[in-house]
Amino acid sequence: METGLTREKIVGMYRKMLEIRSFEERVFELYAQNLVPGTIHLYGGEEAVAVGVCSNLRKDDYITSTHRGHGHCIAKGAEPKRVMAEILGKQTGYCKGKGGSMHIADFSVGMLGATAVVGAGIPIAMGAGLSIKLRGTDQVVACFFGDGASNQGTFHEAINMAAVWKLPVIFVCENNLYAMGTRQSIVVLIGNIADRAVAYGIPGIAVDGNDVLAVHEATREAVERARKGEGPTLIECKTYRHKGHSRIDPAKYRPKEEVEEWLRKDPIRRFKEKLLQKNVLMEAEIQQVKKEILTEIEEAVKFATESPYPAPEGALEDVYT
Amino acid sequence: MRKITYKEALREALREEMRRDPTVFLLGEDIGKYWGGAFKVTKGLAEEFGDERVRDTPISESAIIGAAVGAAITGMRPVAEIMFGDLTALAMDQIANQAAKIHYMFGGQVKVPLVIRTPFGAGVNIAAHHSQSLEAWFMHVPGLYVAAPSTPYDAKGLLKTAIRGNNPVFFCEHKLLYPIEGEVPEEEYAIPFGVADVKRDGSDVTVVATLYMVHKALDAAEELEAEGVSVEVVDPRTLTPLDKQAITDSVKKTGRLVVVSEDCKTAGVSAEIAAIVAEEAIDYLDAPIKRVAEPDTPVPFSPPLEQYVIPNEKTIIKAVKEIV
Amino acid sequence: MVTRVVMPRLSLTMKEGTVGVWYKKEGDNVEKGEPLVEVFSEKATYDLEAPASGVLRKILVQEGVDASVNAGLAIITAPDESFSEAEISVEMPQAVEKAEKRILASPAAKRLAREHGIDLALVKGSGPDGRIVEEDVRRFIEETRGILPKVKEIIPLSGFRKTSAERVSASFRTVPHSTVVMEVDASNAMALHDKLQASYTAILVKAVAKTLAEYSIINSTLEGNQIKIFEDVNVGVAVATENGLVVPVIHNADKKSLGEIDAAIEELTQKARQGKLAREDLTGGTFTITNLGMYGVEFFTPIINPPEAAILGVGRIVEKPVVVDGKIETKPITMLSLSYDHRIVDGAPAGEFLRKVKGKVEKSFEIEG
Repeated sequence: METGLTREKIVGMYRKMLEIRSFEERVFELYAQNLVPGTIHLYGGEEAVAVGVCSNLRKDDYITSTHRGHGHCIAKGAEPKRVMAEILGKQTGYCKGKGGSMHIADFSVGMLGATAVVGAGIPIAMGAGLSIKLRGTDQVVACFFGDGASNQGTFHEAINMAAVWKLPVIFVCENNLYAMGTRQSIVVLIGNIADRAVAYGIPGIAVDGNDVLAVHEATREAVERARKGEGPTLIECKTYRHKGHSRIDPAKYRPKEEVEEWLRKDPIRRFKEKLLQKNVLMEAEIQQVKKEILTEIEEAVKFATESPYPAPEGALEDVYT
Repeated sequence: MRKITYKEALREALREEMRRDPTVFLLGEDIGKYWGGAFKVTKGLAEEFGDERVRDTPISESAIIGAAVGAAITGMRPVAEIMFGDLTALAMDQIANQAAKIHYMFGGQVKVPLVIRTPFGAGVNIAAHHSQSLEAWFMHVPGLYVAAPSTPYDAKGLLKTAIRGNNPVFFCEHKLLYPIEGEVPEEEYAIPFGVADVKRDGSDVTVVATLYMVHKALDAAEELEAEGVSVEVVDPRTLTPLDKQAITDSVKKTGRLVVVSEDCKTAGVSAEIAAIVAEEAIDYLDAPIKRVAEPDTPVPFSPPLEQYVIPNEKTIIKAVKEIV
Repeated sequence: MVTRVVMPRLSLTMKEGTVGVWYKKEGDNVEKGEPLVEVFSEKATYDLEAPASGVLRKILVQEGVDASVNAGLAIITAPDESFSEAEISVEMPQAVEKAEKRILASPAAKRLAREHGIDLALVKGSGPDGRIVEEDVRRFIEETRGILPKVKEIIPLSGFRKTSAERVSASFRTVPHSTVVMEVDASNAMALHDKLQASYTAILVKAVAKTLAEYSIINSTLEGNQIKIFEDVNVGVAVATENGLVVPVIHNADKKSLGEIDAAIEELTQKARQGKLAREDLTGGTFTITNLGMYGVEFFTPIINPPEAAILGVGRIVEKPVVVDGKIETKPITMLSLSYDHRIVDGAPAGEFLRKVKGKVEKSFEIEG
């Protein structure tokens, strides 16, 4: 494969995507068993974005995330078992049960947290970029947000600021075509969100968000520019969520043909086919990877379900340091 | 002791903290070389610390606070200036949902050491979008500290504590306080949060006042003294945390309470303080609690209209006389 | 001119009165000052005079009916004068005076008064609207030092004691109590006690329960305008505990043997002293027995345990000289006192009831089973 990536790296990316998929499928099942309080927003179908972006990042680089954030966490290196425990509201979760599915953070791997206010993470990512610039390190920030968030004022304010200050931020728009149930064409006149980059004087690129290598390549270039102090990039990844907006959403607003088309473009299947075709991986190895991942996810589920709930009075802690 | 203005005291705090700690930086609209802040608080700082650390921003309040949040959770100590308190509404999500909640929501993993400075207050004829007193909005957000200094001494000492602390601090200033002079020592000091200051001792009635109203209360106390009424003026200095002890101690001594605050009366600062005293010290009250606050209207423009709504010595004296 | 005849206030505390005989009927001419109607309060009877001359046009309150003070009783008008319905229904503006006037005092004044056991009704207020302020109480304390008794300690009335106080005062205030007393020869009861090791209280419970079953008017309660007589005979026994008095109930005592009653009393007493009485142990009583004999009390007038109709007080057993067949003998005598709700029964039936109880105690062996 002409990617310039090592086999180990490529297998690792495949593995990560599979890990996210399996994780989300188990969350879906646990939800059906009433083991998940509240609601969930699953990442299934969009794995190529998180993995394609994060495979370019170092541990000390940062990401910010959204309400649909499980995949970002795992892609950046958070432990699935502690993500799962947080989703289940357990004391052993990353946020001791105070955040839940929509507010997971793991500062030890540079995951600066998921915010559930659409678009609110964009200025925060920009601020992390400002911090990097002021501290004079060569870290970068990848800021994940959806097509819906690109219509918030924060998108404009933060990208403009990042642009004018040449901050090392990669703005990653995960365009899954729908803001909750609202189709993009109803609320945006232009076809590519990436075109908006022109208005801020920064590079903007729209890529096939279901092609992990394409996402990886676009991000690689953006990260390189950022580390060199050349400022931010807006990358729009065209992708699709396999499930509805949240667990309760049957997503009836999406045409059947559209869903089927995107399922055919499933990023994991495409990547697998490519890997088999190019003899990077053998079927037997893939089965082995799958087996390992299923074991790992089962361990995560076991860890999370067996973990204790937080003591109720813990609700009063952590308001201030 | 030397005397400096409130504005100079704030600037000294910023300068000293920036010299002491390289992670402290300032950002805001027109705070840099060309303007030095709408009220000149940051004047001269860009010259000393450079444009990077005294950063002029686009007019993007939400992104200003968002930038401060992002920087704060990655090792910096930003001090953001919002030109007028009214404009915090534009950044409310970043203040109330992000800055205030990140430490809690993420289970205490990260601290958010940032300061948001902004002037409140009416009295300079700039009408409804530049004159409000919105302290109570921020008192209602768990996770934020709310400072409200009334003197140059308090302003400097509290701002230093705010910058050095590890929690987001909403730092309320007041337009009419900037030129006020007061004694500020040359030597280093900081004022802890949650410690009220008795600005004047008295025995007949406690007047709890905040920000510019502290001065109105002191003027009123002076006049009342001549009429034989001894007024104790308590300045909470920080509204969150609020020094309940000092307030109830004073009420236990005097048996009477008037709360003076420039914000609107309904669900305002005065409401909270009155409620605390009713809850924790009612057995010491010898008269109903009185509140002197702005009526529930926007701040009007025309001078006679504006003066009508702002509490002053006369309205304070009237309230005191109703209960002594 | 339309003149309303109203219910007069015959005493300071009177809130309502009853209309007696109307001396005139509708359509009669009346002269101002002549007796018009008889009214009476709980304290007095009074001939109300016509307040104006004219024709008694309408009687608003008929004989035997209650009316509150100032309520309209009749309308007097000039002959053929018309009057509106409104004039009939409108009450006089001066309302009935509130029985208890609220004392206006600041919280601080109230606290100080509480701490010193001072009745605020005695303190004059100097604040706005006469509100008593802390200083007034302080002055009162100064002025009355040495006159009013000095308070040693204040025990707040709370929890059990408070509930008990409320119940006792409610009973004493609303139920007209009367007490009948009889001496009872306890010889047989003592013998039975020795024979069966049953307590005197158990013997009394048994005697009372049997009597209640036979003479059920006492096994009742007053609810509004009706007396409700109970089928079940549930006898409560007052037990003194550290926390105060409790009255566990022996349900269907009339159907239990003396041994069963004795065991039940023993068990309930234990539970009461350990604070382990269940709700059902404390509810459903229809009559109460309270025995103060062990404290050396000869006789006393117990307060009825509401909503019951009567309570039996038991005094100590003491050897007394009595005349038997013209000779003085000593016998163990106990005094039984029955306090009863005078609204339900009068003295005669109460006496009759007590006589029956006495009979059963004196022939204790008959109630052994």
